[in-house]
Amino acid sequence: MKATEGMFDESVVYITKQGTQVRTDGGRIVVWDVDGDGDKLVSYPTEQLDTINVFGGVNFSTPFVARANEHGIVLNYFTQHGKYRGSFVPEKNTIAEVRRAQYALSSDDELAIACAMIAAKIRNGRTLLGRKGVHGTDLLKDLGVRAENATNKDELRGTEGEAAERYFSRLDETLADGWTFEKRTKRPPEDHINSLLSLTYVMMKNEVLSGLRQYNLDPFLGVLHADRHGKPSLALDLQEEFRTSFCDAFVTRLVNRGTITHDDFNRDNRLRDEAFKTYLSKFDNYMKEEFTHPYFDYSVSRRKAIRQQVILLRKAIVGELDDYHALTFTR
Amino acid sequence: MTSELVNVSDLNQYSYCPRRYWYLHFYNTQGRNYYRVEGKTKHENQSTRGNWLNELYLESEELGLKGKIDVLDLGNDQVVPVERKRAESGDYYRSDELQLAGYCLLLEEHLGESVREGAIYLYETDQRMHIPITENHRKTVQEQIEAMRSMSVESVPPLTDNRKKCEACSAREYCMPEETAMLEPDKATGTAFEQEIHNESN
Repeated sequence: MKATEGMFDESVVYITKQGTQVRTDGGRIVVWDVDGDGDKLVSYPTEQLDTINVFGGVNFSTPFVARANEHGIVLNYFTQHGKYRGSFVPEKNTIAEVRRAQYALSSDDELAIACAMIAAKIRNGRTLLGRKGVHGTDLLKDLGVRAENATNKDELRGTEGEAAERYFSRLDETLADGWTFEKRTKRPPEDHINSLLSLTYVMMKNEVLSGLRQYNLDPFLGVLHADRHGKPSLALDLQEEFRTSFCDAFVTRLVNRGTITHDDFNRDNRLRDEAFKTYLSKFDNYMKEEFTHPYFDYSVSRRKAIRQQVILLRKAIVGELDDYHALTFTR
Repeated sequence: MTSELVNVSDLNQYSYCPRRYWYLHFYNTQGRNYYRVEGKTKHENQSTRGNWLNELYLESEELGLKGKIDVLDLGNDQVVPVERKRAESGDYYRSDELQLAGYCLLLEEHLGESVREGAIYLYETDQRMHIPITENHRKTVQEQIEAMRSMSVESVPPLTDNRKKCEACSAREYCMPEETAMLEPDKATGTAFEQEIHNESN
């Protein structure tokens, strides 16, 4: 491996153990078990990290936060069950030129980027179904073409909605015996599959969000999702192309391989504590797992592929590339 | 044209690859890689020796340059600026020579007497190579300062014409030269990446 290729690897850390404190010690970031036996649990070289995700009762020392700021490390806060609470964003994560270009995007440029993302989402959904032996998805193909050529955002949203409905109506066929999926429900998810989908979308939104921040794009100014206070529209936009290809594929893998069973959920359709830990480690492994990139033809981890899409998006926004090239899997 | 002074070490960056310099300068896109981290530690650990002056900062409106000389060797009858480099190959680059020439020009103005040579110290081989500063060096430095000061954020320089330079470049992950050539082949016209074939995704 060439030295320059190690940059994105292993750069995200999850801390789930309750009663711990994160500190800085020399050039390393150290997690201490302060409520337990007061031991050092694990440590990482500061240079290596760009994101730390903490779940529940984990706290940071002030010198650590100063260090995170210095090194551009984003801290994301979740509840113990994985609900996103907010982030600490290092002050240097603003580059005026990038923001200026982003805010100056014309509505035609926004539409072109959004069309590429939604077309990829539809195509990737069809590819996922195809891989699992679900056929007769020609309608999705047509909807993909329609998304690519949409002439305004409303039309694009309409096409996206129709495609999502068609796609979800077939998702059930990809699941192993004992699992069913009727329809997509949120707030609250009405069954175990919906619960896993919701959780995975949150985790993915966070991957995309910290990527956007790392490359100084404003995650709250989207190209398709409507602006709403506190809604990271651009992260939701970019997430579209990963929903079917990465998120849904991950959820079907979890249940089809028996990694997660019905017994792992409590009455609120929420993962029990132990199962949630399993989920996080599987998610992290899944992000580190490599695949052959459909255009670049080299092996790349999912996490790195996501960061690359952030870079490609930024290049399209600042005008370094003419178009946004979404990550599309055709088989 | 900017009124900002050009940093001598950026002469090196720019002559290595204008596009790399453009990323660093306008977008602060600096990858973290082995070469950069290693280089930084080396500088920090180097100790001081007798008759050497460490870290002299100089600037000149006249030249449009500013910079910090690593070490000034005050020995013998002439003052010699020394630039310390990490070079696995056991050799330095043309761009290192230009950086050194930049320091010589600054020093010359500061001292009011001519500085005809500088030295590059290589950590790997513990070697000190003396480099005479030629008219050609001086001219190139001046031309480059001119080019750097007229750069703008709107015009991204082309991909490099030498692929080897990308291998150790910390901006490569962001620059994505091969990937750019595959996605938008016209962006690679006239560069080392022109041969890249676009993989049809359909």
